[in-house]
Amino acid sequence: MGYASQGYGAQGGEDGGGFMTSSQQGSQGATKSKYAEDTLRPVTIKQILDCKEPYPGGDLTLDGAPISQVTFVGQVRSVNAQTTNITYTVDDGTGMIDVKKWIDADRINDEMNSNNHIVPDTYVRIFGRLTTYNNRKHIGAHCVRIIRDFNEVNYHLLEATYVHLLLTKGGPQRPGQTGAATVGDIGGDSMFVDQGFNSDVQAKLAACSPAARTVFNFLADNPMGGNEGVHVNLIASNTRLSYRDALDAGNELLSHGLIYCTMDDETWAVMEC
Amino acid sequence: MGNISTPRVTCSYLNSYLGRNVLIVGKVMELRGDEAIVDADGNITVHLNREAHLSKGNGVQVIGKVNPDLSIKALTTLDLGTEVDFTLANTVVEISHQHPEVFHS
Repeated sequence: MGYASQGYGAQGGEDGGGFMTSSQQGSQGATKSKYAEDTLRPVTIKQILDCKEPYPGGDLTLDGAPISQVTFVGQVRSVNAQTTNITYTVDDGTGMIDVKKWIDADRINDEMNSNNHIVPDTYVRIFGRLTTYNNRKHIGAHCVRIIRDFNEVNYHLLEATYVHLLLTKGGPQRPGQTGAATVGDIGGDSMFVDQGFNSDVQAKLAACSPAARTVFNFLADNPMGGNEGVHVNLIASNTRLSYRDALDAGNELLSHGLIYCTMDDETWAVMEC
Repeated sequence: MGNISTPRVTCSYLNSYLGRNVLIVGKVMELRGDEAIVDADGNITVHLNREAHLSKGNGVQVIGKVNPDLSIKALTTLDLGTEVDFTLANTVVEISHQHPEVFHS
């Protein structure tokens, strides 16, 4: 009982362990918003070099998604060992980037003496965080591992392409998937096609971004909607999109004539067909 | 730095990359002194450098320049052992040309 309440910080007012609870809660709250952006993303080095800040000082994005934790493969071209870190220049055929691995003083003997010593031309897999310093990107590596099976390189390149396509064109259409069921239906060859949307609507939706499709499906499914429509804030909180993304998605749907404004510019309802 | 990319190619793409550095993954079919025949969806003649250590029948990664006669002047070669999935490697080449935004400058 006491353990559970401390862990989740739900009863911060309780005397015993109050300090622990509140401090934990604080740190959790602060990191929570960043947590979603910290998804590990498989990439090629070209993608890393290409990704840009949406506005000066903003977070780097790739295919519209924020990017910080990345994994990629490549051949080590040079090794530059310092006392506190080792910098590898890594090349995967699409570009080159510097990877900095800080040396853990406690484990220095493991890293230096074992057969995990990395020499130029070795293929490695890197897990790390993308950072920019003086407009120059480099990777702060959590882990640099030697690739023993060359096929891992090709698997990775396919995975990076898959994630790129997933983010730019949306996922494969899977009917019956909870939550996204309507996405699958609108996609085409499912047996629930005639759920009320004609083929024209489906064609327009197919051309929309994944976020726009999510918003459309939410509006179409929402019984509260009716003629009054649903406000963008409500859409955002129910679809787990940010306010900005929901607004963009709505504007995209508006431009396709799939939804219309009701009470104000930010309250929308589905165009009946 | 950063713009140095070596596109992944198979035999049929060599024509489009004359004079450029490319990356080839294939199988060593023959070794003749400083020359090798590498199969990457078709046989490619590779002019090896002195550091090359290839084995017949093994997979190899060659990074090199495409000569006018569609042979390759190797810059670096890497022996990949016997467990290379060549169908996979050729598929990756196709995919990489379908999605240049992920692979090529």
